[in-house]
Amino acid sequence: MKNEKKRTYLLMTLPILALFICFNTIPLIQGVIYSFTNSRGFGSYDYVGLRNYIDLFQDLRVGKSYLFTIKLAIGSTIVVNVISLILALALNSKIRAKSFFRAAYFLPNILGSLVVGYIFNYFFTYIMPAFFQMLGTDALSTSILSNTKTAWIGVLIVCAWQAIAMNTIIYISGLQTVPEEVYEAGDLDGATGWARFKNLTFPLIIPFFTINMVLSVKNFLMVFDQIMALTQGGPAQSTESISYLIYKNGMAGGQFGFQSANAVVFFIVIVTISVLQMRFSSKKEEQL
Amino acid sequence: MKAKENIKANWPVMVLLILGLSTIIFPLYMTIVIAFKNPSDMTTTISGILSLPKSWSLDNFRQAMEITDFWHSLGYSLLITSITIVLCILLHSMIGYVLGRTRAKSKFYNFIYLFIVSGMFVPFAILMMPLAKQTAVMHLGNWGGVILLYVVFYMPMNILLYSGYLVNIPTALEEAARVDGASTWKTYWSIIFPIMKPMHATVAVITALAVWNDVMTPLVIMAGSGTNTLPLAQLNFQTQFGTNYNLAFASYLLSLIPILIFYVICQKQILNGVVNGAVK
Amino acid sequence: MKGKHAKNLLYAGCVVLGAVSFTGCGSSAKEGVTEIEIVQYKPEAANYFEKVEKAFNESHDNIHLTINSPNDASTILRTRFIREDYPDIIGIGGDINYSYYVDAKILADVSDYEGLKDITPAYIAIDEALELVPVEGNFAVPYVANAAGILYNRDMFEEHGWQIPNTWQELLDLCEQIKADGEQPFYFGFKDTWTCLAPWNAMAVDLADADAARQVNRGEATFTEQYRETAEKYLQLLKYGQSDPFAYGYNDACTAFANGESAMYTIGSYAVPQIKSVNPDMNIDSFVFPAGDTKEQNTLNSGIDLQFCVTAACKNKEAAYEVLDFLLADENLQQYIDDQNAVPCKQGDFRLAPMLDGMSEYIQAGNMTDYQDHYYPSEMAVDALLQTYLIEKDTDKFLETFDTNWIRYNRDIIKMVQDYEAEHGNE
Repeated sequence: MKNEKKRTYLLMTLPILALFICFNTIPLIQGVIYSFTNSRGFGSYDYVGLRNYIDLFQDLRVGKSYLFTIKLAIGSTIVVNVISLILALALNSKIRAKSFFRAAYFLPNILGSLVVGYIFNYFFTYIMPAFFQMLGTDALSTSILSNTKTAWIGVLIVCAWQAIAMNTIIYISGLQTVPEEVYEAGDLDGATGWARFKNLTFPLIIPFFTINMVLSVKNFLMVFDQIMALTQGGPAQSTESISYLIYKNGMAGGQFGFQSANAVVFFIVIVTISVLQMRFSSKKEEQL
Repeated sequence: MKAKENIKANWPVMVLLILGLSTIIFPLYMTIVIAFKNPSDMTTTISGILSLPKSWSLDNFRQAMEITDFWHSLGYSLLITSITIVLCILLHSMIGYVLGRTRAKSKFYNFIYLFIVSGMFVPFAILMMPLAKQTAVMHLGNWGGVILLYVVFYMPMNILLYSGYLVNIPTALEEAARVDGASTWKTYWSIIFPIMKPMHATVAVITALAVWNDVMTPLVIMAGSGTNTLPLAQLNFQTQFGTNYNLAFASYLLSLIPILIFYVICQKQILNGVVNGAVK
Repeated sequence: MKGKHAKNLLYAGCVVLGAVSFTGCGSSAKEGVTEIEIVQYKPEAANYFEKVEKAFNESHDNIHLTINSPNDASTILRTRFIREDYPDIIGIGGDINYSYYVDAKILADVSDYEGLKDITPAYIAIDEALELVPVEGNFAVPYVANAAGILYNRDMFEEHGWQIPNTWQELLDLCEQIKADGEQPFYFGFKDTWTCLAPWNAMAVDLADADAARQVNRGEATFTEQYRETAEKYLQLLKYGQSDPFAYGYNDACTAFANGESAMYTIGSYAVPQIKSVNPDMNIDSFVFPAGDTKEQNTLNSGIDLQFCVTAACKNKEAAYEVLDFLLADENLQQYIDDQNAVPCKQGDFRLAPMLDGMSEYIQAGNMTDYQDHYYPSEMAVDALLQTYLIEKDTDKFLETFDTNWIRYNRDIIKMVQDYEAEHGNE
């Protein structure tokens, strides 16, 4: 009887595990192996030791893509979480047509980010400049995507437009876990507005805050579709995200080996950030 | 709770919410208006771009469908998404069940659990290049390969969900079945699998949204195979639209319509699913 | 641990898993019919190739031809090569990708192909120059060439009485004149980075050595010396374009030029079909980019736009040659030239498109020089480097970056070239 259970469990697990190893673990190992070669993706190649890694830390373009991606990730995470927290508070307050509003505000999240990017691309190139020209504001009368200093803001707006929807929904479900009694107790103490939020509400939704942080940072670090649709990395390579650079130069540009090394470093960065984030937030939860 | 208080709505907040909605409605409005216009109706002024079209013509849509081979792309998107969902629910719930039940007691299963779940941190960027080679060698450089990869990519997340959900299901049920002489295999499919229905819905929603909108996997695996998914078709035919933005927008709108319909019909399940997936 | 054995087993398992569910995806070739697949990289010529494919299949029973003209074909080709999934024939440009493919031994030697004898020798020489190190044999059949310089709106020029410039100074004067007459000289599409290369190439052929890249690879020159003049002159052009050139792409620029928003457009002849699609009646002509200080310094920027290579993986070379014969047949080639305003690489009596009138003098004299960027590795992204330069306008920094990046991205090639020379001596 016991054996039957054991055998069935093994049968249920091993084939799926094999699939996972076949399409996740083995390619991962292969990626690491390629990172020590000068492969272009086709033809013969040689092992070049650590050369790719040494180059990686001297390559301005790679450095720039990390800076851009991190800047975007931090910027978007802040913007998205502030706005979606406010939005969640509003959507959770006493309003009519609550479910309609919730559904409407979630809409951007279900749309494909590539197509959303194309739509916003048109908006930034034609509609925004025309609008500001009409108002007579010269500073904003050119496309924000064409300026190296502002293009990343355009990308941020598109990322945020979609991500806010997701984070809001998560905050709402967090706010719903806050029992009414907490507020009633707070009312007796005279806590209102900001103080009430800071001292009563926020500490109780910290787990949801953590989820949102982890989600946001991870998604924004891997940003790809939006770049593809909006800027293709331009102008002047100012908006090349790490994933985009790996795809562009690794798959299409003949730097198979070098970009594999880049991908390995990227992988390590993601793992480190995720682990740090979880450590940090679990500590914070304990403190409170 | 007093019923009256519920009716007294917070009007200032509602006004702000309605204003806020414009940021969501405006891009959609823009898409619809531009999609129905002719290039000659477009002027460079804002009012020219955003006014309602003089006549609502379906010409752009017909042309866009032809260029992007819409029905085929839609077919492949539907095919890939639905098979992926079915496979994910069947396979991931199964392994999730085993791991959820055993990992507290068995070091071996706990290792497998951690091994797979840690796959969540592996960015697609590092797998993409070796996978492009590997899938081709296995003759999987097509939609079938894309499905297999999805089943693998979403495995860590879904296993986390399923095994987490199992904690709430008492083992007494299975033990009772076993006493009745049912095999483990049969017990799983006849008792546990149906009980996990809420989780199946969550998994289906999350997987569906992610698969439906994904560009990168089909781009790397299927490029050049002659078949497209809806997003991939947008990417591939983007340059073919040239500066005929009306045609391009008709195509964008077409590619958004299926998921919009799906959302309108099942928004409740979608919202629940997404929240469950993220919070668990 | 069973190690490798276990890994192989897993692989096999995966294959079986995949094969079971996806049989029937493979090609179902009829017996006795050879399948030939062409992937060619010019999506704008897709219509032409569809017609050729149809005509070929109607007249040939023993060979079935498929021609694919995907968007972004170079990425798709690379991806397919990464997957070791080779088409029989590839239609590519005469650029660095060709050099890589020759080096990677992906292409078959076609020196036994009869049709090669009809090709203008100058183009075969261009292909030879593209080989990273000299390789015995021919690996491509040049089909058509393109020419880049400045396209202009003939009607606007006639209306205002503007003259075609022959030197750099005359070009600047002309631009001032056009501005004074209330028109805009140029419209740029620099949002698409590759368009930054068009004026660059057209000017660099006049001002830099044709084999600049080879000289640098041999360690005999630097780009800072070679390109300084080109870079400085390029900056001067910017002020004659629209105010925000980095906001608009290639399509926008073509549309603007077609609608008469600018008098000239610095691009190659390949842009004409796109322009004509917006304004079919437009009267376009072109002239050679006058970047030199004297007329004698100017040369036409022309390179192989499309050439066909048989891959080494092609199983039936005879059939592939039959397809090439068909493509090179005079009436088909003429059709392509008419459709795409191209310059044929085959010797013979072909009609050239009217928008090449201004360049025909150079074409007939054979005064042509290959694109500089055909020697640039794509991963170095010189187009983006140029875009950065045009935005920052820092010539010294740009040239210095060019040289340092060149050495880094071409390290393996430079080593190969120098090894080859140590062995064979400098030719």
